[in-house]
Amino acid sequence: MDVITQIFANFGVTWPKFGAQVILFLTVYWILNKKAFGPVIKMLEERRTRIQEGQQNAEKIKKQLAEAELRYQDVLRKANDDATKLLDEARASCEVHSQKQTQQAIKDAENIILKAQETITQERNKMVAEVKKEMVGLVVNTTAKVVGKVITPEDQKRLSEETTKELVS
Amino acid sequence: MDFHFFIASGLTLDAPSFNQAYLGVSYLEWLTNSLLVSLIVVGFILFWARKSTLRMELIPGRVQNLFEAIVEALYDMLEGIVGRHMISRVFSLLATLFLFILVSNWFSLIPGVGSIGWGHESDHGFEVAVPLLRPTTADLNTTLAMAAVFMVLWIYWTIREAGVWGTLVHIFGPKGGLKGAMGFFFAFIFFFVGIIEVISILFRPVSLSLRLFGNVYAGETLLTSMINLGHDLGLPNMVAYMMSVIVPLPFYFLELLVGVLQALVFTLLCAVYIQLSTALNEGESH
Repeated sequence: MDVITQIFANFGVTWPKFGAQVILFLTVYWILNKKAFGPVIKMLEERRTRIQEGQQNAEKIKKQLAEAELRYQDVLRKANDDATKLLDEARASCEVHSQKQTQQAIKDAENIILKAQETITQERNKMVAEVKKEMVGLVVNTTAKVVGKVITPEDQKRLSEETTKELVS
Repeated sequence: MDFHFFIASGLTLDAPSFNQAYLGVSYLEWLTNSLLVSLIVVGFILFWARKSTLRMELIPGRVQNLFEAIVEALYDMLEGIVGRHMISRVFSLLATLFLFILVSNWFSLIPGVGSIGWGHESDHGFEVAVPLLRPTTADLNTTLAMAAVFMVLWIYWTIREAGVWGTLVHIFGPKGGLKGAMGFFFAFIFFFVGIIEVISILFRPVSLSLRLFGNVYAGETLLTSMINLGHDLGLPNMVAYMMSVIVPLPFYFLELLVGVLQALVFTLLCAVYIQLSTALNEGESH
């Protein structure tokens, strides 16, 4: 024991000096533990948790994106199929409709031509009747002036019939 | 005794007090030049830690980032040694040990530490007998104090983790599960191994403190020798002056490295001691 005491004495180890260093070290340990390392470790843990959460969220988003991509492809394929089907149906429907419309147009055209012909005939007959009437009047007047006498109704009727007969022939 | 500035001065083994002979007071035996350096180092560490943690943000600034990087690196390294179950309890002590030793070791390399102080004229010129600032890790009181604090807390954590009986069984108990005569023989052997283990545990604070003290003290002595080399070889003053600047430069870099290494060695050994005693159940279950 004396040897140890002697060694310590040679190195200048005494209770007051040793005690002062112990107190100083314990003080800095206590302060750092309370005020520095505790908050820093808490902050590091918080940051680590956030990074882990971020990574998990990124994984989740990646998975959701892959699922959404698959769903999108499915929807796109389905829409494509539906569109093709609709297009085929529309094309078929259009064909039928077009034929119907063409037939209707032909029918309408024929009706229009028929009506036009009827109208032309009617107009022609009307014009012929008017021309006849004008011609009869002209013949009667001319005859009265040439003959120089008053034309009786019987003469008028006879002249009219003769003129009409002549015009028809 | 005169107060002088001197380029280099050899350290004595003990750290002298600023007692009556130098300060005119007799009640400050504990106030040594190494304690003064300890106070400066502690002040610096506390200032830095406070500045780094005063307004902590999730996205750190430069000061907070440096402190956090050191703490995180230490935390990860020490967690790998002491295990996840112990790190939260022991980290603060181990990190304090590391920072205190590192800053103290590097502080001792500042010119003026150990070479400004009180002294007297001698045949070899002026000699500084009591430096104003002494590298605190080159004082056995400091290293022994750190080792003692660690050992007390180590005993507390060990008993809290394994219990008194568990610790005694771990130290003295037979291993290997042998029974019969062989079991009795090995129990006897393991009991003596336990006694050796207890002696080695008792010597741990001594080995921890002397290792650190010896390395820093030797480093200081080496730097002093290199600075005084030209003068000791009797070279002309101009050459001796040039040599005192150039020759120690590589050794300063060496001491910078030694400063980190010694801080790491002290801290890692403490971590290993904690791991050996607190991972009893884990180790025995395997």
